[in-house]
Amino acid sequence: MEPITRRSPVVFDRPVKNKHIRDNWEIVLEYDNEGPGPHLVDLSHRSRWDIQDNQLDGYRPFQISIPQAPGQCMFKGGLLINRMNRTQASIWHLAGDTPDVPADPAYTDTTDGTVFLALFGKNGFAIAQKLSALDFLEPSSRAPFLLQGPFAHVPCQIVVMEKTAESAGILLTCSRGYARDMVHAILDAGRQFGLLPAGEAAFSNWIEKL
Amino acid sequence: MNRLDGLPTCRIDSSRKIEFSWQNRRFTGVAGDTVATALYAGGVRIFSRSLKYHRPRGLYSLDGESSNTCVGIDGIPNVSAENTVLKEGMQVRAQNVMGTPRLDLMGFLDKLDWAMPAGFYYRTMHRPAAVWPIALKQVRKMAGLGKISPDFQMPGRFDEIYPTADVCVIGGGPAGLSAALAAAGTGLRVIVMESRPWLGGFFDFRVCEYRPGLPLYERAAELAAQVEKAANIQVFKNTAMVGAYSNNLITAFQKGEADDPFDERYIEVRAKSVVVATGCMERPLLFENNERPGVMQAACAHRLAHTYGLVAGQKAVFSIGHDLGIEAAIDLFDLGLEVSCVADIRKEGQDRELVEKLAERGIDFLPGWTAVDCSGKTVKSARLCNLDTYVQEQFECDLLVASAGMTPVTGPLCLAQAKMAYDAHTGYFLPRQLPARVHACGRLLGLNDAAAIEVSGQVAGYSATLDCGVSVEEGLRQAREKLDSLAGPAKGCDLVMAPVKGRKAFICFDEDTTVKNIKQTLAMGFDATELIKRFSAAGTGPAQGAIPGHNLALFVARYHGRSSAITQPTTVRDPLVPVHIATYAGAYHDMCKRTPMHDAQKTAGGIMQRIGVWKRARYFSSDTACTAEIENVRNNVGMLDATTLGKFRIWGPDAVKALQRVYISDMSKIREGRIKYSAMCNEDGCIIDDGVVVKRGENDYYFTTSTARAGQTVEWFRYHSRYDNWDFNMVNLTDAYGVINLAGPNARKVLEKLTEADITNSAFAYGGFCEFKIKNTIPVRAMRLGFVGELSFELHVPSSYMQSLWAMLEEAGRPFNIQPFGLEAQNVLRMEKGHLIIGSESEQRTTLNDVGLSFLWDRSKSKAGTVGAVALMHTEKQEGRLKLVGFKMDNAQRAPRDGSIVVDQNVCGHVCIARYSTTLKEVIGMALVKDHLAGEGAQLDIYEDECNGQLMHAHVVKMPFYDVKGERLSM
Repeated sequence: MEPITRRSPVVFDRPVKNKHIRDNWEIVLEYDNEGPGPHLVDLSHRSRWDIQDNQLDGYRPFQISIPQAPGQCMFKGGLLINRMNRTQASIWHLAGDTPDVPADPAYTDTTDGTVFLALFGKNGFAIAQKLSALDFLEPSSRAPFLLQGPFAHVPCQIVVMEKTAESAGILLTCSRGYARDMVHAILDAGRQFGLLPAGEAAFSNWIEKL
Repeated sequence: MNRLDGLPTCRIDSSRKIEFSWQNRRFTGVAGDTVATALYAGGVRIFSRSLKYHRPRGLYSLDGESSNTCVGIDGIPNVSAENTVLKEGMQVRAQNVMGTPRLDLMGFLDKLDWAMPAGFYYRTMHRPAAVWPIALKQVRKMAGLGKISPDFQMPGRFDEIYPTADVCVIGGGPAGLSAALAAAGTGLRVIVMESRPWLGGFFDFRVCEYRPGLPLYERAAELAAQVEKAANIQVFKNTAMVGAYSNNLITAFQKGEADDPFDERYIEVRAKSVVVATGCMERPLLFENNERPGVMQAACAHRLAHTYGLVAGQKAVFSIGHDLGIEAAIDLFDLGLEVSCVADIRKEGQDRELVEKLAERGIDFLPGWTAVDCSGKTVKSARLCNLDTYVQEQFECDLLVASAGMTPVTGPLCLAQAKMAYDAHTGYFLPRQLPARVHACGRLLGLNDAAAIEVSGQVAGYSATLDCGVSVEEGLRQAREKLDSLAGPAKGCDLVMAPVKGRKAFICFDEDTTVKNIKQTLAMGFDATELIKRFSAAGTGPAQGAIPGHNLALFVARYHGRSSAITQPTTVRDPLVPVHIATYAGAYHDMCKRTPMHDAQKTAGGIMQRIGVWKRARYFSSDTACTAEIENVRNNVGMLDATTLGKFRIWGPDAVKALQRVYISDMSKIREGRIKYSAMCNEDGCIIDDGVVVKRGENDYYFTTSTARAGQTVEWFRYHSRYDNWDFNMVNLTDAYGVINLAGPNARKVLEKLTEADITNSAFAYGGFCEFKIKNTIPVRAMRLGFVGELSFELHVPSSYMQSLWAMLEEAGRPFNIQPFGLEAQNVLRMEKGHLIIGSESEQRTTLNDVGLSFLWDRSKSKAGTVGAVALMHTEKQEGRLKLVGFKMDNAQRAPRDGSIVVDQNVCGHVCIARYSTTLKEVIGMALVKDHLAGEGAQLDIYEDECNGQLMHAHVVKMPFYDVKGERLSM
């Protein structure tokens, strides 16, 4: 009987250079010839939770305060908390060891509900504006900030992590079922800018610098 | 034709030759040419034949203002040669030609104009009635330009882009560029759209001075350089604005240049403020044969020379109504064109300096004269007429430069819902009331003075900046003061038509509508311009009324003897310029959802089909009756991917109240370890969804919905509890959990091999719910359901584990010959069991009672507090309702198509589903029929498409058809 594995909905058609198994997930750390960027990285194996409660401000998930206003984000200790609305926030694990699943009923594990992608590097926003009318460069918004709306016509949660003249970085989640078409749409839009898939190591290096 | 080399305004590179073909003959153009200019340089004067009369048509403008130069390029019809940059190897063909462009066999139609008055197809050929179907075919065969095969595949690379901006400037002329610089100077993000391949507008090709020592074209280059240098201005050249929608949504399309990764792309901008700076075009002069090849607008002749290095003819006559026409005559004379005379409609008001320059060059100047006719297939001579004395004079020429005056390009403003009004001073339709956050500037306000045009752009730019919340009041005040000190709008020419009868004076080139046609329309009582447009077809062609636009309204006003002030141009609609459908489609990423088992099912032979947002396995063989799949489930064990079911978590102190509100059953009595099947109705009592609910903890529930309703369910709960302030939370887990329906008499034997949990019938009975782990790793939420009428386990598993579980079940089930089954097999299996699918066996009017699910309705619940309960009560005994019945066909081999209608003297219902039942060896089905046909034993007469009156017959029977006692579910 084949070993039990957890599979990401994303498969990049690239030769894998380095991979490993973590919590039953087979994770690609590096692909051959990833190039200088921009890069698209599959983070679907990274844990994600929804936290929802009428008294949301009373919660401090993983000892981090939830931002007050919808659209605001907090990135601390490898965890990103995104305030979605009055009663709801999403929590994305980006770096470090995977934390335990919170026991409180306010939390719902949504790791398997969405595909989780990172798009970063030069021309990242030029790629994004081919797929979405969302305003990634809104001058009054300081990274990280959350946008909720269509990307490639699919409802998404998008966090702008980096917004500089040289480099852009966004994290994106949408319904898991759209994974294949979403990746295809992003890679197609990014072809003219040299967008290539990259492994988790490229993401970790980038997020570490932020 | 030799090009004028060395002109500083030229946009061509004569050293780079480009080969193309015209009518299968080789031609050579140069880099920077459009198809139209390359053809013109190659001596082509007739580009196409007109729609109705097959009259020869040639170059008249350079911005695609009429269909004159619509040609076929590389198999694509109706491409404007004026707007298409020449590319190597293009194959260009004339349109609407039988023979050659010069000798068109259908050209005789021009002599039959008397037989084709305005709206002739509405009034002739209708009697006797038998004639019309024949005539209709001929009219349709003759009508339309260009031919394309229905299976034509559009070649090219298409893309889309959604840039964001604070200010969107439409028009890259001096006013638009000034507006962009003013707004960008405050730090705002600005987008500039320009339809030509370069910025500069009407400064770009003119050599007269902006200020001493600085010609206009150099000023244009200065402004363009500043704009292109600004980091916060995004410039889209080759970009035509095509639509304006609410809240400043601007759409456009851009043609790609050689190094662009697209041929065309769709652009959509949501801007906080919009500036329209689209300038002016020339208003055509109406005279006999005013559309002959060799007649062209002044700016066309002017730009041909200065931009493309082409002198449009040998010997020219100018008949114009504005100073730019005189300027063009002087310029072109200096470039080698022989100018016989310049006739100016205006008797006075010309720029004296320009008139003196004409005299210096010995060019006759005829104020108060206009062209009235020209002769030749291409222009050989022009006849001019004095507007006071009607004295006429003939001039030999091969070029007649003609225009009545200028008119603003108001299309974008009109789309933005600006209110326009005629201005007697300028003779323009000017914006009198602009919508919020829309501004106009430049020549379209009637300004002619170069400095005033730029400053008006600054005013618009600052006004747009204010819209974005940036304080620039002082800058705006100063710009307004400066504008007030500069020259205002100049007096315009108000002549619409030369003194001619108008039999061959064309007001609309695209639709071959003459002045005479308009008079015929008026004589028939159509007095409103919009009605005249529809009856005469003027302005309904591909150029969207660019040529007839303002002339039609002005002519109608004059004809009625009314003031032009009360007239309005006809409505402008998007797209403003023709756009390929392929461009609107853009990159066309067909976004659909796939389940985690998509690839596994394909490998197993699954035929995947798009059903709603999902791709699902419909069949697993070429047998669309799915006999093997069905038999395997009935006799053995099968696996169905049911991942697409909606799945939700609802929890919180008031979760039960919310469930009670939307479900029709009593949801307060859900026991742990048991599933609750129920349905949701809308306010009319019509069934909209069904599914199961399980309790997983205190005030914590997990429930499923149908695939189709998954997207709306959270909103449905929130909407129906919006006034209650209840404390409950919901998360959509549809994609988080995959579902496998393991069904068949051997299902338990398969599952037992993978889990240590007790799944015997006593421990986990039909209707039960339990949670366990597969191989101590994969968490499963398992339900004992029986949608397909067999022992079934519905296994809900985190999506990332689904491929592993699918493979494990395949392996564990191999001794039992486990096989996947698809949607069609499920459809037959559940039909045999009499289970319905909402949407298949229900429709918009069908209540819970109508489909036989009234047992789900708990009447003890508060009716007002349960969505749909009040309506259910009122309709419960209502007569004449459609009822769901089961039926068996009299002919056991032939199933009617789904959707076939049930008839007596009237339509009495329809077949929802009918299939040959492999299990029962007969054709069974379900139908919604009027209640008088719903009794057991009633005969149903079924009318199928193309049955030629041969009705099919069936009889109503009790459901379920299979396993009446339900023993197989409880195994």
